[in-house]
Amino acid sequence: MGLGRYLARKSLWYLGALVVALLLNFYLPRLVPGNPVDAIVANLTMGGGVSGDAAKVIHENFMREFGLDQPLWKQFFIYVNQLLHGNLGTSFAQYPASVNTLVGQALPWSILLQLPAILVGWTLGNLLGALAAFKGGWFDRGAFVGSLLFSSMPYYCLAILLLYGFAVKAEIFPTGGAYPMGTFPEWSWSFISSAMPYFWLPFLSLVLIFIGGQAVGMRSMAIYELGSDYVNYGRGLGLKDSTIVRYIFRNAMLPQITGLALSIGGLVGGALVTELVFSYPGVGYLLFNAISNKDYPVIQAITVIITSAVLVANFAVEVLYGFIDPRIRATQGGDKS
Amino acid sequence: MAERLLEAIGLNAAYAGYDGREVQAVDNCSVYIDEGEILGVAGESGCGKSTLGAVLSLTTRPPLYVKSGTLRIDGKEQELGHGVKIPREWRGEVVSLLPQGALNSLSYTAKISSLVVDVMRAHDPSIKKDEALDRARDRMKAVGLPPRALDSYPHQLSGGMKQRVITIISTLLNPRLLIADEPTSALDVSSQRALVEMLREMLNQRIMAGVIFITHDLPLLKSISDRIAVMYAGQIVEVGAAETIAERPWHPYSAALLNAVLAPEPETLTKKVFAIQGSPPSLVAPPPGCRFHPRCGLEMDICSEKEPSPRGDHMRYSKCWWTQQNPTTPINLDDVLGFKAKIDDVRDESLVAAIDHVAGPVVTAEAPTKEVS
Repeated sequence: MGLGRYLARKSLWYLGALVVALLLNFYLPRLVPGNPVDAIVANLTMGGGVSGDAAKVIHENFMREFGLDQPLWKQFFIYVNQLLHGNLGTSFAQYPASVNTLVGQALPWSILLQLPAILVGWTLGNLLGALAAFKGGWFDRGAFVGSLLFSSMPYYCLAILLLYGFAVKAEIFPTGGAYPMGTFPEWSWSFISSAMPYFWLPFLSLVLIFIGGQAVGMRSMAIYELGSDYVNYGRGLGLKDSTIVRYIFRNAMLPQITGLALSIGGLVGGALVTELVFSYPGVGYLLFNAISNKDYPVIQAITVIITSAVLVANFAVEVLYGFIDPRIRATQGGDKS
Repeated sequence: MAERLLEAIGLNAAYAGYDGREVQAVDNCSVYIDEGEILGVAGESGCGKSTLGAVLSLTTRPPLYVKSGTLRIDGKEQELGHGVKIPREWRGEVVSLLPQGALNSLSYTAKISSLVVDVMRAHDPSIKKDEALDRARDRMKAVGLPPRALDSYPHQLSGGMKQRVITIISTLLNPRLLIADEPTSALDVSSQRALVEMLREMLNQRIMAGVIFITHDLPLLKSISDRIAVMYAGQIVEVGAAETIAERPWHPYSAALLNAVLAPEPETLTKKVFAIQGSPPSLVAPPPGCRFHPRCGLEMDICSEKEPSPRGDHMRYSKCWWTQQNPTTPINLDDVLGFKAKIDDVRDESLVAAIDHVAGPVVTAEAPTKEVS
């Protein structure tokens, strides 16, 4: 079996998973009791002064406009058709804003917050874990206990603690938002420097947790590898410590790479609670509001993006693994030995 | 006379237990080897032969600690012990370890060639990649291994191939002394033979000057070794030339151990093979005096009181009170095992059956009578 056929077969599996996910993404939000239009009409007629008949007309208008008067299966095909044309639909709650625009505004904030947090956290965490395993002693004990503390703490707890300590009590950082009132997001130095203070707390709350989780995993992998026969043999052959550490690192890295790819895949979903705690205008924040308003198109849009990103990341891991671990490459590609 | 290659004097090594106790697995052992010699190390599981190999190849790792000892190879001397830093050049160049290849002795993400280059570079940073690979390729051709194995990952090689490739790597730096720790244990008979012939050939070509061969496979040991060291409970109890020690042992334990082998010879059919009574002692609290005395049929009063002093010289000695007092009397195996007496005493059907089972050929001889009854 060639590598090409292997990849083609895998792609089919992933495509199947995507279709199932699309169905669920479409159907699950609609299971939530209540009609999104009811809420909108109730909002519009709040002050009174709109007669019952007028309210009914408005209601029907919205139902038609959103396509909610169609049978469910038809709605699904309309949705899929739009999706294939790259159109995520129109938001109910923020009518007539296009979902593409809403997601387009929120996504960069989520990526800019999380990508640095994941990359920095992954690198530092793995280095710390490997170093702790190699050095042992008090350094190892300190690093291990610290990492364990951070990795087992829910990330929003740390977010709340940081917020309380450094924004409410000490007032070093602003309490929420992503940029100062009155400025408008743009790629300019003055804007970026004014937004930086807003970045640090949510970043820290994510990166500390990530470092902890990675360090704990890397440490135990590296300790396992350190005790293996090839390390002992390498020492017996007089290899330098640095060479042996290189061997260990490469082998201990395998599961860690999966973690990295999956985190990158999941980052488009936003760090939901972190974004809520810091009122950070990312995808998580958008999703939270959409769910409370039963804003189906926005929910669907975000879940479909998360699904595809996770699937792509998984696929990337499978392909990447083959390049790092020759044993897996052999089973994938039918390597002749 | 051949020149002395190795003098390892007064080796002591112990495993540190979690509760602070120590298990002394190598107890005051001294090993001497001449140039061009293969010394076989024999003994039961847990007698400390692999620990001795780890000490000699300088690859001890916690919880195993070397407590004391001196290595002298080619006039170079190295003290061993707590906190002693051994120069990296000693490993691989002076002594080198040949481990069992079926274990994960090779990193599974590195090609053989990259290990070859790393090993050569670790001892001579100026060496070029091609030079390193050329040397490995020449060595492989010389022993009939396909040089393309260099471009393989460990999982692509068969067990026998892997073991021979590891042998090439272990001897790449022309170590003075090679310590082979059970290299044939996971191999079938033909791969075993290939490996043993390869080691002999390398020794003849003076790639290494001497080999310590550790195995529990006694027939193999007899055929490969020039001399054999027999270990019991952390101590070397007898050393001698392979034929001498098999025919005229100076220690009852050697006699019993080497008797427990069925060589494919005519007299084997009529030979009785008996197990030694009891089991090896715990090294946490070894018996006083001679450590073999609780299992020995030749036991005398002094055996449990004083540790036997060695009889003989560095190359041929034993530690046994009985043979010191009866230097000319050959050891009678039945006396050592106390076999008949024990059976009559016990009268336990299951034990008799178990002993019959161990004593394979005896059962065969009795088989027809059983059919009749």
